[in-house]
Order: sequence, then C-alpha cells, then structure tokens
Amino acid sequence: MKANILNRIPKILVFAFVFFSCSSDLDFDQVNDLKLKPVFVANLAYFNVAAGQFSDAGTEQKIAFDTRDFDAFKDKFFRDNLVKAEFNFEVENTIVRAFTLDVLLLNDSDQVLQTLRFTVPAYTGSSNVIKYPTEVFESQRLALLKQTTKIGFLVKMASGPPINEDSLGNLKLRSSATVYMEIE
Amino acid sequence: MLSLQLVCFAQNRQLLYNFTSIPQASLVNPGADVSYKYYFGIPVLSGISANVGSSSFSAYDLFAKNGIDFNDKVRNIVNNSSNKDKAQVNEQLELFSGGFRVGGEDSQSYISFGAYQEFDFLMYVPKDPAIFALDGNRDYIGKAFNLADINVRAEVLSVLHVGFHKKLNEKLVLGGRAKLYSSGANATSTRNSGFISTTQNAGTPNLYTQIISSNLELRTSGIAKFTKDEYEGNVAEDIAHNTFFNGSMGLGFDAGITYYYRENLQFTASIIDLGFVNQSKDVETITYKGTYRYEGANPIFDFTNKPADVFDDFESAIPRDTLYTKYTTWRPTKLYSSVQYSFGESRSDDECNCKASAKKRYLNAVGGQLFAMTMPNEPFVAFTAFYKRSIFEKLDFKATYTIDSYSSKNIGLGLSGTIGKVNIYALVDNVLEYRDVSKASSVAFQFGINFIVPESED
Repeated sequence: MKANILNRIPKILVFAFVFFSCSSDLDFDQVNDLKLKPVFVANLAYFNVAAGQFSDAGTEQKIAFDTRDFDAFKDKFFRDNLVKAEFNFEVENTIVRAFTLDVLLLNDSDQVLQTLRFTVPAYTGSSNVIKYPTEVFESQRLALLKQTTKIGFLVKMASGPPINEDSLGNLKLRSSATVYMEIE
Repeated sequence: MLSLQLVCFAQNRQLLYNFTSIPQASLVNPGADVSYKYYFGIPVLSGISANVGSSSFSAYDLFAKNGIDFNDKVRNIVNNSSNKDKAQVNEQLELFSGGFRVGGEDSQSYISFGAYQEFDFLMYVPKDPAIFALDGNRDYIGKAFNLADINVRAEVLSVLHVGFHKKLNEKLVLGGRAKLYSSGANATSTRNSGFISTTQNAGTPNLYTQIISSNLELRTSGIAKFTKDEYEGNVAEDIAHNTFFNGSMGLGFDAGITYYYRENLQFTASIIDLGFVNQSKDVETITYKGTYRYEGANPIFDFTNKPADVFDDFESAIPRDTLYTKYTTWRPTKLYSSVQYSFGESRSDDECNCKASAKKRYLNAVGGQLFAMTMPNEPFVAFTAFYKRSIFEKLDFKATYTIDSYSSKNIGLGLSGTIGKVNIYALVDNVLEYRDVSKASSVAFQFGINFIVPESED
C-alpha cells in the first residue's frame, strides 16, 4: 500500500508540472506573438460660426483664424504604435456665401506641415452638408502628422451677397479621427 | 519517522472534508469527528506546487501548438468569456502540523496546531477592457466599456493556527480554531467602477460624445518598494521574509460541528477563515478617479482664450493619486456542510467482540456536501455528492462528484490507509481531466503522510 502510493507521487508531480511547463502540446513562446491592433475613433474638432461673426460693426471680416494645441503626439506610446490615421470632415453651411476652410497641421515653431483644404459652396436654400473624402495618413504623411503639435483653422469667405451682424446662417464643422494602432 | 506533507488543491477541499481518518480533515472542519492520541506531520518538501482553475479557458486553449494565431486565440477566449469567468491559483504548503489528546484516557478533547504558507490569486476576466485593448472603440459605438470588469486580488501569507475540539457526547462534536495571519504581500483591486463610452447623439455639435468615467483603485501592501527604481533586492526572498517575519498581521477563526442525528445519519458544518488582515506594512494605494469628456480641438475664432492641452485636461480630470493609508482585507471565508447516511455494518475482524460498548462500524456512506466561498463578486458555490467505503479496517476510499462553475463533471478519488502508525493519503481531483491536463479547467491534488498514534493504544 505504502509503496503503491509512493510510486504515484512522481506521477502526480509530473501531472502538476506539465500544467506549467512546456509539453509537446503547448508552446508558451506564443506570448511573444501577441499583437494588439485596436482601432479607435475620436472627435477631432468642431466649430460653429454664426454669419454675424463675419461682420464687425458693418464691415465684413473675410478671414477668421484660430489655432488649438494638439498634444496627442507628444505621447511616445501613442506616437510609436500608431500605424495609420484617417480624418473625416463634414461641413454644414447655411450662410449665403461660399467659403474655403484650411486645416493647418503645425509644429512647435508654427511651421505648416500639411494643409487640408475644403471648399464650401454657398447656401442656396437647400440642404448644404458636405462630407469630404477621408484624409488618409500613412507612411510619409503619417510621419508629418506625428510632428503635429497644433491645428490651425483658417476660414476665408468668398465674395457674394453682403452680410452684417443680423445675417442668418451658420458655418459648422464636425470632424473625427480614426487611429489604427499596433501594439506588440 | 518519515513524515511528508504536500498539499495542493482548489479552495474547495471536497475530498478532504469529513474524511475523518485523515487528521488534516480538521483543517476544513475543526469540529470533525477526528480522534487520536497524538499525531504529527513534519514537512520535508520545500518545492512549491499549485492548483490552477479557470472557468472559461484552459492552458490548451491559449498555448496549444496548433497553428492558430495566438491573437486569434486570445480574441476567442475573450469573446467566449464573461466578466463572471475567473482564473484562480491557490497553493498551500503545510510547514508543520500536529495534535494531541488532552485530559485523561477517557477524555475526548483534542488540540491540534500547525503552520502553513498560502498563495492566493483570483482574477475575473476583464472582458470589456480586453475588448477595448484588442479592438478599440470603432466597432463599438454606443457601448459603455465597463471598468468594473477589472477585478483582481493576490496575496501571499503564512498562517499559524491552534484548534480545539471536543466530543461532548455520542451525538455531538464541537470545535474551533484560532488563526494568526502574516501577510507578506497583498494586491487588491476589487472595487472598481466607471466606463469608457463613445456614442453618437443627434443634436450635439460634435460627431461623438466621448466620456471616460473612472473610479479605479489598486491597493497594495508589501509590494511598493519593489516597484521603485532604486530597489536592488531579490523579490522572492523579500516576500518570503516578510511573509514569515515582517508581514501585515491579521486574525481569524474557524468553527465547526458534527452532529449524529442517528447513529448512521450525520450532519456537519463548518466556517473557515472568518478573519481579516490589517494591511499595514509598506502600503500604497493608487487611484484614478474622475470624469473626462473629450471634445476635440475646437477653435472659437475670438483670439481671447488660451488654447488648452487635451492631455493636461485629461490628467487634471482623472489624476493619478497615491495614498499611504492602511487598509483591511477580509480573508476568503469558506462554508462547508454535509449530510451523510451510513449503511452496511461491518463484521468485526476479531472472532469475538468482547467490548460490549464497541461502536458500530459502517462500511459504506453516501451523502452530499455544500461548499460556498466569499468572492469579490458573487460567492463561489459547489455541490458534491460522495460515496465513502471502508475497504479494510484501515483503508478508506472516498469518491466525489462535484458541480461548480469550473466543471460539471469533476470526479475526485481519495484513499487513506494506515500501516502501523503511518497514515498515508492521496486525494486527486478532476480525474477525468488527467488524460490531458493541459485541457483541464482545474486541477487539484493533495497527499500527505502522518504519524498517528490512535486513541485505543494507551
């Protein structure tokens, strides 16, 4: 009886350790193959400018400009694991004037790395929502994107019917970013 | 006298419970009807063995050499798991144990004592955070990723215990055990809440409504110094040292009862590890608490306001805080109970049974056991049906069939035999799974050798 059980002890131990160590069935090195490929969407930017803002005391202001800090790429983890990005822009214009919108990707010294230009037709009474083709950032374009620390928005109003503080309508931007990560 | 003790089991010790020819049965019911003049077990094995249980996947699912991409395996496991699935490791090593009868020859009072080292790890499958990391949020617009899925605890501790049980009369045995815990390392993150959500709402100016609401907390004790850059020691050695000599102290109690409703109808119940540890050594708590709403980089064309940094906003909305307050952890408390019906009276080995008072011995017993254990979410519950058979006078056999969240076909086999004064036992759980251990959802075994001087030999 005693011998019988003592004979079993090594077997039981082997059973236990098979569970933790490599056996013919298992390959623990596969852990190194782990590669996460999440895809995230996020807001990029929006604005809503009323027609009246393009007029100052009766004088038309044809240009509006603003910059925003955009520090996502300061994060090394994000920068190192980002393999592709896509920006989607959508503009709704209910102002009787046409516009061009330049989205400027700027670096720390305010140099323009890339310009994304969107032309916006004037409002003529029917629905005026424009969805622009997806801006895709890969390889060199992506490298430039990764240096971006600020985004500039330059809105230029084309000529057309006069507007003043009481003019109706808005120029609205909505945009999103889709980021493709590969984390090993 | 050779004495050997290696214990390795799931938290539920359904085979050992009420297996009263093994003195260690009083560790799972201090009121078990165990009797001896004295016994002891001295450990000689210094190796560590462990039990692993996982309710939704096996080692094979993850590490099989079958050509399937590892990332697909991970994804499959996550998809097939719920946040109630868990992975568990429990390891115990008995350092020493012993017991003796107190009082005179007719006394039926016993003291038992011992020390063991225990490692506990419990993690629920963090399903939502895992999906977020694997897939991102693009395909999950409208979903709130639940941060409460992050639920994990781990502890290394040593336990010093002294128990007492007394057979008050033919019907009733009562017992209790006091425990002194010394915890070398503890990490607890079981009270998390919050969510990460991306939704699209009509009427809002932005494309998405993106909110991170975080209430995350990780409490540690005995670990903080290992995470510091200037630490240059041996983590395992330091944890071992802390576990036995410089741990966070705690107290606990066990209690148990055996009651014979009739001579062959027995009821037992016990509560094990009703206790706490006051985590006080090298404590560090890290929290991420707050709510952040991400709107994007939004120009307002008025030149007056200074643009804000998105990341700075995030860090001030959900700051990382470090606290150094003591905390209390409750031990996982276990409840056992059983009903046992015995039948088939044994014919005495002796030609003449001269002792008129000799107790009847039954050859067979059947019954049911219920096990419950506290867990951060729902309690763990297991039901066991068992059959016990006395093969010879000093050789007992027990078979169990257990249903729990790991398995609905867990068959266990146990043998306890005594040769002279040496008691040897082996308890093997989940025997069906031993054909391919890598596919087992849980594995447990236990064996030991005791030196027992029985009561009748005075």
